[in-house]
Amino acid sequence: MKLSVWAGIRLVVHKEITAGLRFRAAWTAMLMFAVTSLACLSLALQGRDPGPVILAALLWILLFFSSFAGADRVFTDEAATGTLEVLKIYGPSQAVLFGKMIYSFGLLFVLACVLVPLYLILLDVTVLDWGLFSAVIFAGLAGIAAAGTLIAALTVGSSVHNGLFSVLMFPVILPVFLPAIGLTQQALTGDGAGLAYLGGIVLYDMILAVAASLLFDYLWYED
Amino acid sequence: MMKVCIGILTAAVVFAVFFVVPPAEGLGYYVRLAFFHIPLAWVSVLAFFLGAWWALRYLKSPAPILDRRSSRAIALGLVFAVLATLSGAVFSKLTWGAYWNWDPRQTTIFVLLLIYGAYLTLRSAVRDPQKRARSSAVYALFSFLTVPFLVFILPRLYFSLHPSPILNGSGSIDMDPVMLVVLVAALVDMTLIYLALLKYLVARPDKGGYLDEP
Repeated sequence: MKLSVWAGIRLVVHKEITAGLRFRAAWTAMLMFAVTSLACLSLALQGRDPGPVILAALLWILLFFSSFAGADRVFTDEAATGTLEVLKIYGPSQAVLFGKMIYSFGLLFVLACVLVPLYLILLDVTVLDWGLFSAVIFAGLAGIAAAGTLIAALTVGSSVHNGLFSVLMFPVILPVFLPAIGLTQQALTGDGAGLAYLGGIVLYDMILAVAASLLFDYLWYED
Repeated sequence: MMKVCIGILTAAVVFAVFFVVPPAEGLGYYVRLAFFHIPLAWVSVLAFFLGAWWALRYLKSPAPILDRRSSRAIALGLVFAVLATLSGAVFSKLTWGAYWNWDPRQTTIFVLLLIYGAYLTLRSAVRDPQKRARSSAVYALFSFLTVPFLVFILPRLYFSLHPSPILNGSGSIDMDPVMLVVLVAALVDMTLIYLALLKYLVARPDKGGYLDEP
């Protein structure tokens, strides 16, 4: 049976959602990590206002490290359960990559839907430019999903899992991380003058996705 | 023969830096450090390019020697990047009053160190030699995507105290002619030292470590 890439992507996304709902540990671990980290910060601050620069940085540190707690599992869970070999036989590489990338983005979107409202409430944050705030989070999560899927594939078969994903991910995602903090700060203060940087993040997201697509075949099809 | 040439050139550069180069305006004799720092930083970037280039060639045609060159180019590049970071931090302390202040250039070298460290961590974490070579080649190329950001975007995001590059914004060379000649000689010398060390490391027999070929 020969499938188009689109049909393959749909099947992989469907399979990921089904497996994710059946085995909820990945979701709950990531969400609990996010909530616990946020609660620690809120407790430490005790209602004090750290200012927009620190608040923006805190949001992205929470988002990045919480997402790292879940996004690294997209291939290692399959390797642990033995289904990765089956997927390698039946799944075309690009369908697997983009299917898992879309699933990762969905997972991160759910994370943001839980984390961001709690962040706004617990740290008493006021957003003055909601359009920019939402767009930056959306673009940042897309970048994490694009880079994270390839990096997760790299860590399959490694003897160390905890920490390796973050170590490999951080330098690659820094071009998203730094402008995202600056733009979030602008969204909090209402000085939304940095739309060029938002375009830069979106462009980098696309470059990450294209590069991941080009390089993934070398990992997927072994000699 | 090559070793002798490098030895003579190194001696000439060291002599010129300490006895020929005039003190720079605003920096005095601290400028001497720049003749070691700039070539070290250049080689740090060159090593990254070479590592990525051999990684690309390995993925196209997986010959073990290409993985060997790529991994050793990057491992050696890490040493030069550490030395560039340390010399830069000392220069920063002497001229700006602090070892580290996340200047865009410092951020760039720091990210480069992170990439080198991440690459070597990945190599040490993957046991299967074939997979190790392939994964690390993919990572070397994937991390290469950050280069345009570090070179073009980051300096625009943050204010920099770092002295202007030798080629300034108008495209002209803004440097004392004696300093320029010594700097070019130092750049050539450091590049040759790096290439000679790389040649030695690539030729050295395997010990079964994570840098060795599949």
